[in-house]
Amino acid sequence: MKVIAALFSIVLGVVLLVAANDLPIWGDPESPVSVHLSSYFIEHSVEQTSVPNFVTAVLADYRGYDTMFETAVIFCAGITVMTILRRSHRLRKKNVPPRPVREGQDIIICSAARLIVPMMQLFALYVLAHGHHSPGGGFQGGVIFGASFILLALAYDLKTVLSRLKEKTMMLVSGLGVLVYAGIGVLCLFLGGNFLDYSRLASILQVTEIEARSHGILGVEVGVALTVTCIMLSLYADLASGGEMDEGL
Amino acid sequence: MNIYLDAIVVLLTFVGLLFFHGTTVGILRFPDFYTRMHAAGKGDTLSTMLILFGFAAYQLHHPSTATLLVAGKIIFIAVLVFIASPTATHAIMDAGYESEIGAWSAKDGFVSSCLIRKEKGE
Repeated sequence: MKVIAALFSIVLGVVLLVAANDLPIWGDPESPVSVHLSSYFIEHSVEQTSVPNFVTAVLADYRGYDTMFETAVIFCAGITVMTILRRSHRLRKKNVPPRPVREGQDIIICSAARLIVPMMQLFALYVLAHGHHSPGGGFQGGVIFGASFILLALAYDLKTVLSRLKEKTMMLVSGLGVLVYAGIGVLCLFLGGNFLDYSRLASILQVTEIEARSHGILGVEVGVALTVTCIMLSLYADLASGGEMDEGL
Repeated sequence: MNIYLDAIVVLLTFVGLLFFHGTTVGILRFPDFYTRMHAAGKGDTLSTMLILFGFAAYQLHHPSTATLLVAGKIIFIAVLVFIASPTATHAIMDAGYESEIGAWSAKDGFVSSCLIRKEKGE
């Protein structure tokens, strides 16, 4: 089985390397990106999407399909880590050295975490919602939100966090994030447009087509943030506790 | 008006850099883990805050909603550093103590921590 997997990886790697040969050279002034693509997005993204930050506009609207599968990749990564590490107790006990037991909680670290965690979560929502105007968006906001839970797990312990956000809820919400993204795309299909053509949402949201694209971007960013938050915490919980979800580090 | 503000900005930034210098010298020259972390934690926090306050003061050259917002955000970062940096130093120190890193004393030189525990009678 391992040999097949290794062969598969090698073949795929070679194919990708060969394909990378055909990519334009980095910084090539003759490449399509430099000739007309960048200037088109810079000039037209505001009038077409009413999003001042055209990185967000390109990421979630012009190439929204790509970003949707990026979210799906993160979801798959989380699921994979969980599948590998969350084995049964009987299997684990044979080959895992016991982790050192942590004695008690440090009052200084706990107090600081209690001060910082709400600020972090508020800032994460700000980064998520402000992605239209400044650097930020679903991925960054989600990472900050997930990090706030990880900080809580470091200061207190994993059980405290998992009692607030159950593992089951976590995995459900991370799937829900991808579903929100794809659902918005499908909704656009039902309203008569292409997949992820947010301008079709105008009839539901009672705004102009251009503003609808801006709102659609916010909607998919929320989906991305949900997935990233839960997968961040799930990855930490699985890796730190060796898949046993008990103590952590 | 502006020259006084400039003087404040320069003073804050310069004193901040001075403390950063002390931090660097402390990390390089102090004899053991604990004293080095002491230099890093204290000096780093104060100098970062001083330089950030300098930046915030610089924004007051043209007071308007936009610049005041920027100044407010910088002060917010300073508050975050004030909380987070000493806590992080404490956490690292605590981890070092838990994993029994030795300490230095003027009388005995470098003492490994098993000896410290013996003196305390543990």
